[in-house]
Amino acid sequence: MPTLETPVAPGGVSPARAAAPPARGARRRRASRERLVQALFLAPAGLYLVLFFGYPVVKNVLMSLQEYTTRTFFTGEAPWVGLANYATAIGSNLFGPAMLNTALFTVGSIAGQFAIGLALASFFRKRFPLSGFLRSMLLLPWLLPLIVSSATWRSILDQDSGVLNGFLRGVGLISEPIPWLTSPSVALIAVVLVNIWVGIPFNVTILYGGLQEIPEELYEAGAMDGATGWKAFWHITWPNLRPVVSVVLVLGVVYTLKVLDIILGLTNGGPANATQTLAVRSYQESFVNFQFGVGAAFSNILILISLVFAVVYLRLNRRAVDE
Amino acid sequence: MTALTSTPGRAPSSAAPSAPSSSQARRRADRPKLRHTAVGLLFLAVMLFPVYWMVNASLQPSGNTLTADFLPLNPSFAGYERAIAQQGPNLVTSLLISLGTVAFSLAVAAPAAYMLSQIRSRWISVALLAILVSQMIPGIVIANALYAAYNDLGLLNSIHGLILADATHAIPFVILILRAFMMRIPPSIVEAARVDGAGVVRAFVSIVLPVSRNSLITAGLFAFLFSWSDFLFALTLTTTEAVRPVTLGIYTYLGTQVSNWSAVMATAVLSSLPAIVLLVLAQKYIAAGATGGSVK
Amino acid sequence: MKKNVTRLLALAALAPLALTACGGGGQSTAAEDVKELTVLDYYNNEPDKSHVQKALDRCAGQLGVTLKRETTPGKDLIQKVLQRSSSRTLPDVLMLDNPDVKEIAATGGLSPLGDYGVDTSGFAPGMIDAATLDGKVYGLAPTANTLGLFYNKEMLAAAGVEPPRTWDELKAAAAKLTTGDRYGLAFSAIATYEGAWQFLPFMWTNGGDETDLTGGQVAEALAFTDGLVASGSASKSVVNWSQADVRDQFAAGKAAMMINGPWQIPSLAKTPDVKWEAVQVPVNEAGQTPVAPLGGEVWTVPQTGSKAKQAKAAELVECIASDENQLALAKERFVVPTRTALGAEYAKAVPEMAAFTEQVANARSRTGKLGKDWPKAATVMYTAIQLSLTDQATPEEAFARASAG
Repeated sequence: MPTLETPVAPGGVSPARAAAPPARGARRRRASRERLVQALFLAPAGLYLVLFFGYPVVKNVLMSLQEYTTRTFFTGEAPWVGLANYATAIGSNLFGPAMLNTALFTVGSIAGQFAIGLALASFFRKRFPLSGFLRSMLLLPWLLPLIVSSATWRSILDQDSGVLNGFLRGVGLISEPIPWLTSPSVALIAVVLVNIWVGIPFNVTILYGGLQEIPEELYEAGAMDGATGWKAFWHITWPNLRPVVSVVLVLGVVYTLKVLDIILGLTNGGPANATQTLAVRSYQESFVNFQFGVGAAFSNILILISLVFAVVYLRLNRRAVDE
Repeated sequence: MTALTSTPGRAPSSAAPSAPSSSQARRRADRPKLRHTAVGLLFLAVMLFPVYWMVNASLQPSGNTLTADFLPLNPSFAGYERAIAQQGPNLVTSLLISLGTVAFSLAVAAPAAYMLSQIRSRWISVALLAILVSQMIPGIVIANALYAAYNDLGLLNSIHGLILADATHAIPFVILILRAFMMRIPPSIVEAARVDGAGVVRAFVSIVLPVSRNSLITAGLFAFLFSWSDFLFALTLTTTEAVRPVTLGIYTYLGTQVSNWSAVMATAVLSSLPAIVLLVLAQKYIAAGATGGSVK
Repeated sequence: MKKNVTRLLALAALAPLALTACGGGGQSTAAEDVKELTVLDYYNNEPDKSHVQKALDRCAGQLGVTLKRETTPGKDLIQKVLQRSSSRTLPDVLMLDNPDVKEIAATGGLSPLGDYGVDTSGFAPGMIDAATLDGKVYGLAPTANTLGLFYNKEMLAAAGVEPPRTWDELKAAAAKLTTGDRYGLAFSAIATYEGAWQFLPFMWTNGGDETDLTGGQVAEALAFTDGLVASGSASKSVVNWSQADVRDQFAAGKAAMMINGPWQIPSLAKTPDVKWEAVQVPVNEAGQTPVAPLGGEVWTVPQTGSKAKQAKAAELVECIASDENQLALAKERFVVPTRTALGAEYAKAVPEMAAFTEQVANARSRTGKLGKDWPKAATVMYTAIQLSLTDQATPEEAFARASAG
C-alpha cells in the first residue's frame, strides 16, 4: 500500500503530537495512552480477522500438504504428502493453459473494467439532471444473484437464438453468427466481456467516490495555471486519485483472480477447456474429482500469485510516488 | 460540510450570481447537461440490457427467451405470483442481514481503517497484505470451518450468525477502502481539533467520521451488496427454512433436473427493487468535495 | 454483539477440534424411544419436493416417527454431506445421487443395510451395483431414470420419418429433419457430468467401456456424435447445452428429436402443442441391446452413533423403497420403479414411460466398474467429447488427449 503518501509526521501516531510539546512525563503518559487508544481502534478488526480468516488460511495450507479426500472429512485422517499436491497441480497438462487463461482473463477484465469505470466516473462527475439516479441504477446488476445473471447472459450469447447475434446481424455487423460460448477461440473473450459487465459498477462507484474527494480548490488553482482538460486530469486528478486507484486495482485483481461463479455459470470451463482458470481448476479438483488436497494446492497457488502481484504493484507504485 | 465550493461547470454555478444570467444564456448552459443525461441514459440502457432481458424471460411462460420477442407481448405472471407468495419473508431476512452486515462492518472496520491510515510503521504494509490475502481465501474453506464452529456454538439458523459470516466479505474490503480515503483527509483538520483538546476518540468521532461521510457510504454500499449477494454462507449455515435469504430462496425453483426459470427470474427482479431504492437513497447523500469543503 | 464476540473467541478455540472430535449428539437409546428422524435430500424444487414429502409422510406414519426434513440444492448436496461428516451431524436418513454412493460409503460414513436385515433383492441390478461397496449394499432407490430418444410426432410425420432405431437411421432422420432454424437432433455435450452421461448410451451400446476409454468402440461412438454436429444435423451449441437447455430447444420446436430423460416430461406438459413420444436410444447395428446409464437417487443410513436411530432409519429406507411407494413416486415423478417385477404393471399404467421402463431393466450404473474412479473417467469423457466437437481433436485422438489430463 502506498504508505509513503500518508500525510503524517514520521514515527508518530498523529500530527497533534507535534503541536504542543508538553513536559516529558506527561508526554510519556500521553504516548502510552495514545498507544492504548490505537490498540482499541485496531482490536475489533484484528480479532475478527484472526477468528474468521486465521483458521481457514491455516486449514487451507495444511490441506494442500495432505492427501485429503472425502474420507478425511469423516475420519479426520489425512496422510502428509509434502508438496506432492503442488507437483500434481503444476504437473497437470491443464496447468499451463489455466495459468494463461487466468492471466488473460484478469488482464482483460481489469483493463476493461478500470478504463470504462474511470471514464464513467469522470463522466458522472459532471453534474447533470438524473446523474445521481443513473449512477445508482448502475449498481442494479450487483443485486442480481450471479446464477441468474450468468443464465441470462448465456441466453443472450446463444449462438443460434441469442439476442446479441440477432442484433449484430440485424445491424449488418456480422453475417455469420458468432459462436460466443461454443468456440474455444471465442469463449474466453465472451467470458471476459461478461466479467467486465459485472465489474463496471464496482469501479465506477469507488472511483467516483475518489474523484469527489479531490478538493475543488486544486482545480481552481490548476485552471489559473492553465491546467484544464487532459492536463488537469494528468496533473491534478490522477495523482490525487492514486490511493483509491491502488485499492481499486489491487482489489480488482484479487477479486478477478478468484472469479468462479461466472465461468461455471457460462461455460463450466469449456468448451474443450478453453475457459479453465486456476479458480475453476481448484473448484473442479475439490468438488468434481474430490481431490481436496490438489484443489487446496491450486487455491494456494492463486493466493500466492495475488500476493506477489500486490507486493510488486505496491513497490512500483511507491517508487512512482517517490519520483 | 454543506458549503460546496461553487465552481464553473458545477450544478450550483449555473445559479451563481457570478454571470449576468439572461434566460437565454441559461438555456444554452443547460443544453450540454441534457446531452449528458442522454448519453448517461444510453449507457445505462446498454448496461442494464441483461436486466431487461431477465425481466423479459421472467414474463415468458416457458421461462426462457428461445422463442421470445423483444417485448413480452403475451406476458405470463405465473412466476411473479409464485415469487410474491413465497419469497416475501425471505426478502425481509435478506434486508435484515444486509443492513446488519453494513452496521457491523462499518463499526469494526472504520476505527481500524483510521488507525491504519495514521500509523506509520513497517508492519502496516504487512497488515494490509494480510487483509488482502484474506480476500483470496476460497469462500468454501471459510464456510466449512464456520459450519463446524457455528454448530458447536448454536449459531446456525440465526440472523446474527449470518451477519457475522457475511462480514467476511465486507470487513477486509471496508478497511482497505476507508483507509485509502482517510489518507486523503488533510492532517490540519484533525490537528486543529487536537489542539483544542480533543482526544483521539473525540477527534475520530466528531471530525474524521463526518468528513469521511462519502467513503463511509460507498463502503457501506458494497458491504450491503456483498451481503445481499451471498449464497454460500446462507446455504452452509442454515439447516432449516427459518432463516433464508432470497439468494437461497431462489434455489427452491432450481431443481437438480428441472428448474422453474420464470420464477427464478421473477424473484431476482422483484427482490432487487427494495434494495435498489435503498442504494439510490444512500447515493443521494454522497456530497461533492466533502473534505475540501470542510477545510475552509 | 458483546456476547457474540466472546462466543466467537470460543469458536476459534473450538473450530480445529470440531473437525476431528466427535460432536456427539446421538446417544443410544432403546428402539422404541426413537420419535424423530432427520432427513436430508436434494428434492428442493416443486413438484418433486411435495411428491417425496408425501412418500416420507406415509412411511413416518407407519413407523410412528416424526421427520425433520432438510432439502438442499442438488449441486451443493455433497458439500453439505462432507461438512456434516466432519462435524458428526449427518442426518439419520440421507439421500444421495447414485454415482456418489460408493464415494461416500468409502468414507465409512454410511452403514450397510444388511446390518438391519433389509431385503435388497428384486431391484434393478444396476441400482444395487451403484449402492454396493465391498459386497455390502448401502442404500435403496425407490425409482430410477435413464435416457431415451424423444421425438416430435408432428415433425417426423410431416417429414415422413419413422422413429429411428439404429445409428444410420438416426443420422438420416436428423439430417432430413434439419430445416431453417430447426435442428434434427439436440443433445447435451456440456463440460459437466451431464455431457458424459449423455454419451454413455452410445458408448456402452457400441461395446465401449469406461475402463478402456481409448478403445476403438468408444472412438466409433464419438465419431458418430461428432458426425451429427459436423454435418449440421445438431447445433454446435451442444457443447454448452445442459439437458434442461436441450429440453427448452425441443419444447420451442428448435429441435425435432432429443436425447433426454423422463424427468423432463412434466416440463414438456407445459407446451401441449408439442406432441412427443419416446423410444429407446438407437443402437449401432440392429439387434444390439441398448445399454443406457442408470440415474436416480439412493436413500442411505449414515453412521450417526445412535444404533436405535440407525435401525429406525433403515426401516424408513425400506419403506420408501416399498412397492407402494415405488409406484406412487414413479407415477407422480415420471420415473421408473426399481423393482423389476413392477415394470410391466407400471408400463401399462403410464404408457409414455414404456420405453424408459424397458431401458431401465438393462441400464448400467456409472460407478459399477470404476467405483470412486468414476469422476475421473467422466471428466475424461466430457473433455474428449468437447475436444472432438469443437474440432480440437479427431474422435480417434480425443480420448488419448483428454486422458493425458
